[in-house]
Amino acid sequence: MVTKTEETELNQFEIQVENGGGGAWEYLCLVRKLKLRRSEKVLKHGSSILNDPRKRSALGPDEWTLNEQVAIAAMDCQCLDVAQKCIKVLQKKFPGSKRVGRLEALLLEAKGLWGEAEEAYSSLLEDNPLDQAIHKRRVAISKALGKPSIAIELLNKYLQLFMADHDAWKELAELYLSLQMYKQAAFCYEELILSQPIVPLYHLAYADVLYTIGGIENLISARKYYAATIDLTGGKNTRALLGICLCASAIAQLSKGRNKEDKDATAALELHSLAAAAVEKEYKQKVPAKLQLVSSVLRSLKI
Amino acid sequence: MNLGFVVGVFGVLILSHAAYSTIQYRGLLKIMEEEFSRPPMNVIVELIIGLALCMWAALTFPGKFLSIHPDSDENRAVSLPDNSEFMIFNHRGRLFPPQIDMKF
Repeated sequence: MVTKTEETELNQFEIQVENGGGGAWEYLCLVRKLKLRRSEKVLKHGSSILNDPRKRSALGPDEWTLNEQVAIAAMDCQCLDVAQKCIKVLQKKFPGSKRVGRLEALLLEAKGLWGEAEEAYSSLLEDNPLDQAIHKRRVAISKALGKPSIAIELLNKYLQLFMADHDAWKELAELYLSLQMYKQAAFCYEELILSQPIVPLYHLAYADVLYTIGGIENLISARKYYAATIDLTGGKNTRALLGICLCASAIAQLSKGRNKEDKDATAALELHSLAAAAVEKEYKQKVPAKLQLVSSVLRSLKI
Repeated sequence: MNLGFVVGVFGVLILSHAAYSTIQYRGLLKIMEEEFSRPPMNVIVELIIGLALCMWAALTFPGKFLSIHPDSDENRAVSLPDNSEFMIFNHRGRLFPPQIDMKF
């Protein structure tokens, strides 16, 4: 999870490095720590450091991590010769290493040789069957080949072994959403909320999935989770505020005939009007040109 | 920061001096065979001064306090990490490789 301070720091470094100031190494360290995917910039600045023998020797033992980072970024940008050179350097330094073996298999993947990559991963798995990264790469291969059902099967087997892996749960949720299996995606998001209840983005995603499934109980739950998101973000998340307005109007439409929830109808009305007011205030502050559009939409949603 | 440290040391010395005078006072009362109800007024004043100095030093010496609210402007989650372990390479960007030349 990237916080606002880290993001501003990252942007500052990025601007500084792009305009020719120093600090490329700090930028690369920050990208590595936050696990972001900025492949073009990493490739450009990382290769400029590696090309300069003075800067390269100044890094000391971190040179090899930089080689690995640049190799992966090069594969993402499809500069396969760059990646090949980095991997050769690493092979010379660390012969017979599992980590370098993984990078070689990754290069096969980037070249599009899926069969050989799968074989390489299976042979690496024979030596160490509990390597998390290799299992994940096999899932990625199925995903790249356009077979999400196989990817889901592999990922399920992986999660039975390593249940605490948040990234894997997130990936599984996204795979289910791409196949429109909303109930299973909701289960994955529930797992994520259980393990990290402070992150508001998981609550928001879960509420979105519940709203998509529809039905009055799911809409009521979705409203609760949108409210939880607003609570966790101090009211600054516009999407959750709009979600509450939409949920309230959908619930009102669905329960037109029945008068089930009398006591929570008043609370719902108040919540809806407060959320609408908060959305309008935020639009007035940030984008006053679109305020009229938003007000008309909110008025049409009024119960 | 240095001032906070000095004030803190001073506060601790005052407190230990107050403790020593209380012990001496109790010894004196034992000789005079009287009850020990509470330390004398000057020791109490010294204790209050020592408390104030130590508290001030404890708040200023450690430096800037970090914010703990999850929705404060510095701590709020802006984005989730982009799952780079599941990253796939056959996206549309592979048709536009940047021109990088490696000299090593």
